[in-house]
Amino acid sequence: MRLHKSGLMLIAAIVTGFAISRFEHLINPYYYQVLIYIGINIILASSLNLINGFAGQFSLGHAGFMAVGAYTSAVVTSQLHFASSSMLNTAAFSLALLLGGIVAAIFGLLVGIPSLRLKGDYLAITTLGFGEIIRVIVQNLDFLGGARGFTGIPKLTNFVWVFSTVAIVILLVSNLINSTYGKSFLAVRDDELAAETIGISSTRVKVIAFVTGAFFAGVAGALYAHFVTYINPAQFSFLKSFEIVVMVIIGGMGSIFGVILSAILLTILPEMLRSVAQYRMVVYSLLLIVIMITRPRGLFVRTRTAKQSVALKTLR
Amino acid sequence: MDLLTLRSCTMRFGGLTAIADLSIGLAAGDLLGLIGPNGAGKTTIFNMITGIYRPSSGQVLFDGHSIVGLKPNQIADRGIARTFQNIRLFPSMTVYETVQAAYSKGVKYGLIHAVSRCGPFHTSEEETDRAIAELLEYFELETVRNEIAISLPYGQQRKVELLRALATKPKLLLLDEPAAGMNPSEKVALMGLIERVRSDFRVSILLIDHDMRVVMGICKRLVVLDYGVKIAEGSPREIQCDSKVIEAYLGEPTE
Ligand SMILES: Nc1ncnc2c1ncn2[C@@H]1O[C@H](COP(=O)(O)OP(=O)(O)OP(=O)(O)O)[C@@H](O)[C@H]1O
Ligand SMILES: [Mg+2]
Repeated sequence: MRLHKSGLMLIAAIVTGFAISRFEHLINPYYYQVLIYIGINIILASSLNLINGFAGQFSLGHAGFMAVGAYTSAVVTSQLHFASSSMLNTAAFSLALLLGGIVAAIFGLLVGIPSLRLKGDYLAITTLGFGEIIRVIVQNLDFLGGARGFTGIPKLTNFVWVFSTVAIVILLVSNLINSTYGKSFLAVRDDELAAETIGISSTRVKVIAFVTGAFFAGVAGALYAHFVTYINPAQFSFLKSFEIVVMVIIGGMGSIFGVILSAILLTILPEMLRSVAQYRMVVYSLLLIVIMITRPRGLFVRTRTAKQSVALKTLR
Repeated sequence: MDLLTLRSCTMRFGGLTAIADLSIGLAAGDLLGLIGPNGAGKTTIFNMITGIYRPSSGQVLFDGHSIVGLKPNQIADRGIARTFQNIRLFPSMTVYETVQAAYSKGVKYGLIHAVSRCGPFHTSEEETDRAIAELLEYFELETVRNEIAISLPYGQQRKVELLRALATKPKLLLLDEPAAGMNPSEKVALMGLIERVRSDFRVSILLIDHDMRVVMGICKRLVVLDYGVKIAEGSPREIQCDSKVIEAYLGEPTE
């Protein structure tokens, strides 16, 4: 049933992407930009959901992985000369996205390893620090432009790229979680010790989650870099990590579709609040507080039956 | 050769010696009862065997190999599965998913197949599904397969936990007070089930209970523990007459 849904999603997303890309020049550039950001945020939130929501490892370093992907891909495309042939462009950009993802995944591995020893708040703080370290390092690397930023990145990101990636991420995550294999992730999240006693290596699960999650954050960063064409370290501060975490929490940790919806909502919301200018962040924060009070398990999570809630309570 | 051997195992927690110089042997196919009053150290023995605690001294041999120092998941891989005294089910999972989790190690495909759904994925998933359906039927849980496991009545939760352990296809099953919190007739039914499981799944069982009457019926051999020391070992009849055992249990509230 869910497989069916995710398969349809993939096709729908790619078709929509292609269809819209035909009319790219007709779309109001502002809406176009918001749509691209929605896509990128869905990728970020869904990949973080794998780490936070499914494997249960509270990570606050997602912007760091995004930065790694953004800078890696920018370096790649700046080294390549773009021919007029669109085929060649496609190949070069694919390579840049892939490398952005792979290098971010390597960083994911590096963060995944301390996560094996740390839990809860400690892990959150460590990953937060890790993200900041990446930012500070970039800030001090001259060949990446330092604090001034990296300019002149070719504008290669478009609808098709973004929404194909969105579709792939959603499909992969949902396939994983709905497979017997993927139940090991949920088991580690639910009760690490009990998971170990049925032969699940929590080490393996955590590392896979971090590496895969970081890979897609890297790809999202690469897509972002090739859309805005100018990146600087400040764009990838812990505030960005928080933003992604909030999307996952509001959507409902471990809810694939909830997180997609909340990524959409939380991208549009700040845009709509532009009219109230200086109160924008106040209204935004208030809304988050209200949502958390009224729907603590996430905005889009089906409320459990009374019986299940009681069972959950007695467990705590 | 014994399937499981504990040789002079001692477990200290700071100044407290929870297990003192304990030796136990369990032959393949056995159903050995481990009894003793509250706080005797029964659960601690399970935690030592399953790698949750590392014995302060002594050896634990399984299938002739030392398993001291292995991680819980490695010990599970060797073929030891357990249940917990205070049930530890996965709170977000249905009964079916809980059993699936136990199968997640044994599937015949990897991450790439799981996310792409190609290669041996579908045949393996169908196989697993059939196996789980059979197990659920055996345990009379097929009607609740899609219920969240922790929302079930207590007795059924215990069964789900037993099933989860069994689904890892262990050689040795450690059951920590599986009858706790059940009424007498449920206890009798559960003991019958455990005995059937032992022969149908060809698994050896080490069974804890602090109420010796519960295990008398199905265990041919019992080990009695008090304050971390083995005070008696033998058939239920021998144990019942043992003066040390009577002394240890004197004043024990009967349930
Ligand atoms: N992690 C630990 N740290 C300190 N002391 C512990 C620890 N685990 C167990 N103990 C102590 O070891 C002793 C044996 O406990 P254990 O849980 O093994 O008893 P038990 O025989 O299972 O009792 P019950 O019938 O109540 O389940 C107790 O005194 C307990 O307080
Ligand atoms: Mg106990």
